[in-house]
Amino acid sequence: MNFLLSRLASVLFVAFSVATLVFALMYLAGGDPVDYMLGEFAKAADRDALRARLGLDLPWYQQYLNFLRGVVVLDFGESFHYRKPVVTLIAQRLPATVELAVAGLLVAILIAVPLGTLAAIRRDTALDRGAMFFSLLGVSIPNFWLGPLLVLVFSLGLGWFPVSGRHGFASLVLPAITLGTALAAILSRMVRSSLLEVLNEDYIRVARAKGLHPFTVVTKHAMRNALLPVLTLLGLQLGALLGGAVITETVFSWPGIGKLTVDAILSRDYPVVQACVLLISITYVVVNLLTDLVYAWVDPRIRVGGR
Amino acid sequence: MSNRRPVGRGVLSLLCLAAVLFTGCTRTQPAAIRFGLAYVPQKLDPRFSTDATSSRLIRLLYRQLVDFDRRQRPVAALASWARLSPLHYRFRLDPSRARFHDGRPLTAEDVKATYDSVLDPKLASPHRSSVALIREVRVIDQDTVDFMLSKPDPAFPGYLVIGIMPKHLLERGHDFSAAPVGSGPFRFHSWPQQGLLRLTRIKDRQLFEFVHITNANTRVLKLLRGEVDIIQNNLPYELTRYLESKKHVKVMHRNGSNFTYLSFNLRYEPLQDRRVRLAIAHAIDRAQIVRHMFGRKTRLAAAIFTPDHWAGDPQLRSYAYDPVKARALLRQAGYGPQRPLRLVYKTTNVPFRVRIATIIQYQLKQVGIQVSLRTYEWTTFYSDIKKGNFHLYSLSWVAVKSPDIFRYVYHSASIPQTGRQHASVGANRNAYRDTLVDRYIEQAEQTYDPAQRVRYYRLLHKRLLETLPVVPLWYEEHMAAVRRRVRGYRIAYDGNYDSLAAVTVRR
Repeated sequence: MNFLLSRLASVLFVAFSVATLVFALMYLAGGDPVDYMLGEFAKAADRDALRARLGLDLPWYQQYLNFLRGVVVLDFGESFHYRKPVVTLIAQRLPATVELAVAGLLVAILIAVPLGTLAAIRRDTALDRGAMFFSLLGVSIPNFWLGPLLVLVFSLGLGWFPVSGRHGFASLVLPAITLGTALAAILSRMVRSSLLEVLNEDYIRVARAKGLHPFTVVTKHAMRNALLPVLTLLGLQLGALLGGAVITETVFSWPGIGKLTVDAILSRDYPVVQACVLLISITYVVVNLLTDLVYAWVDPRIRVGGR
Repeated sequence: MSNRRPVGRGVLSLLCLAAVLFTGCTRTQPAAIRFGLAYVPQKLDPRFSTDATSSRLIRLLYRQLVDFDRRQRPVAALASWARLSPLHYRFRLDPSRARFHDGRPLTAEDVKATYDSVLDPKLASPHRSSVALIREVRVIDQDTVDFMLSKPDPAFPGYLVIGIMPKHLLERGHDFSAAPVGSGPFRFHSWPQQGLLRLTRIKDRQLFEFVHITNANTRVLKLLRGEVDIIQNNLPYELTRYLESKKHVKVMHRNGSNFTYLSFNLRYEPLQDRRVRLAIAHAIDRAQIVRHMFGRKTRLAAAIFTPDHWAGDPQLRSYAYDPVKARALLRQAGYGPQRPLRLVYKTTNVPFRVRIATIIQYQLKQVGIQVSLRTYEWTTFYSDIKKGNFHLYSLSWVAVKSPDIFRYVYHSASIPQTGRQHASVGANRNAYRDTLVDRYIEQAEQTYDPAQRVRYYRLLHKRLLETLPVVPLWYEEHMAAVRRRVRGYRIAYDGNYDSLAAVTVRR
């Protein structure tokens, strides 16, 4: 319970700090949202009127207080650009982001766990080196290159999936693979190294000596112990993915949070930027909290220590 | 054996069904004609739209009083007009005009309501400034409406380009951006997500989908796979050339009128010397840049208006590429290897613009000018330009039709005042002052005789080219790539989408 309370306090602290930081950065970045809204030919009087309506003519501390007040009651106001409530905009984009994040992570796990395990069991063989080479490749290939390449092969060449957009399951496949392979690369290295560590432990030797099937030894005895660092990494990666994968979203015209945030920064749409960054940071904290809870489930020792 | 067969067949047909369903999900529906957009339309309310994509879609949904011909002269569209006095214009609505999409007739009351709404300062419409000279809109009868002006302006009818909206919905505060209602050839169908807009062509109920695809590669791939039928502009030239090699796609080019220029800050002392500006103009090999970086219909520019614009000058020629002359001019101005001219060149961080800027940087280096390139995202860049915080920058004037642009950009009264951050009296951002140019602008603004106006504008163009506040670079072309099943698409002179009203599809 104490654990949960302290985590909740940290969520609040992070939210407050991020809100302040975002406000300060947007304020200092310069550039004028009114330019974006009124265009080239607007008159000074019209600009001033709009600035007053948006509250941009107030001194910075008043703008800051107004903003904090909004954060507390979860009212981020109206987007300057779309002239719609920010909450509505985010609600429209969030499902797409969650869908892509979960799918990307799933692809990563499906590739990384078998690959990392094989590499660990067949250490220093061609298989190990092959798997780790693949992993290196995965980290090195940028998404803006892999995305179009996958499209060329699987959409244009084979005609299996649509090129871009979000229309059903088929359109999810290529962006998920694009995101997933990069994650899988790091993840498989982590699975391999932590599994290697565990495989040298005494209890594994005992399990082997008992005559258990090698498959059972790895999946039941070694894997569960090797999973802790992997889970930490997964938590961080999921946090990052939920913050939006801007490049993948751009390549595949995926209507997610990442693109919304970047577009909002470019058009100086302060309310949207503030809400998105806040959402992303809180997602990070919450996902990490959940990761800690999953730790306790995977490793009973942590539960005992927690008490 | 025999009783196992039906099971095998069942599995097979299930698989087939799954395959059909699967491919059915991924293939495009043949029913809709799909248009791939590089930019998402921001607002489909004619009072608020400022971006090119929205303006082009708004032309499909609404009708405007006045439009422009090929030479950019204002012509009657929804209404024809007569000038009763310099301050009084009478417009008669086209008797054969269509009704609004909700079935109500379009009358003079709707014209008044639309313009009254734009003129309302509380609405904060970006178009208010362009029609601020309207003192009053008076309804004479159902088909006739008068515009009373506060000051004479020969270019006036050309400002009435806002789509006419129904009065009863304006009064109710209807959200036109979410559900546009106009009297254009297309009716709003749905806008299920920001990146997908559906319109129905009224004459045959043909469905059109406008799909937003930011990435140029993705846009091209979607066209090749048939997920979109038409794309237009915003492609690097190498992708255009790639598309030209594909047999089921037709690539079209057309002259454009968007004017790209390199601007000098005349507050910066070295650039106040005309010889330096002239040297830069001679040092840039524009023909080479256009040949390698742009489509074949891109033209070299000598002025803000193209030679085919009514106020343009077909005889005008800009400075030829002459690096020897450029070096000599710089020497005369006191620059050389011992004392090189150093300049900061600002541009946006759009990769294509950065590539062009890099080429110009290289060409200027060849004559001994050290240019350091600074790239910024748009808002920061624009804010710097407006504050006069630059030596050189390049930008384009997009869709400029009316010659009131001259006062806005070149008149000495349009220099933004420093000190007041938000004072924007004009866009004379390089602080250019020339009494002759001021005089030509004022004289042209006061004359109603078309031939005389043309004469003043030509004098103006010539004087601007002599004094060189900017180096005119080029007018970028319009291009479109269309799948061969689509018939009848034409690129419009200003890149609008009007020809979608006539497009057909071979089934």
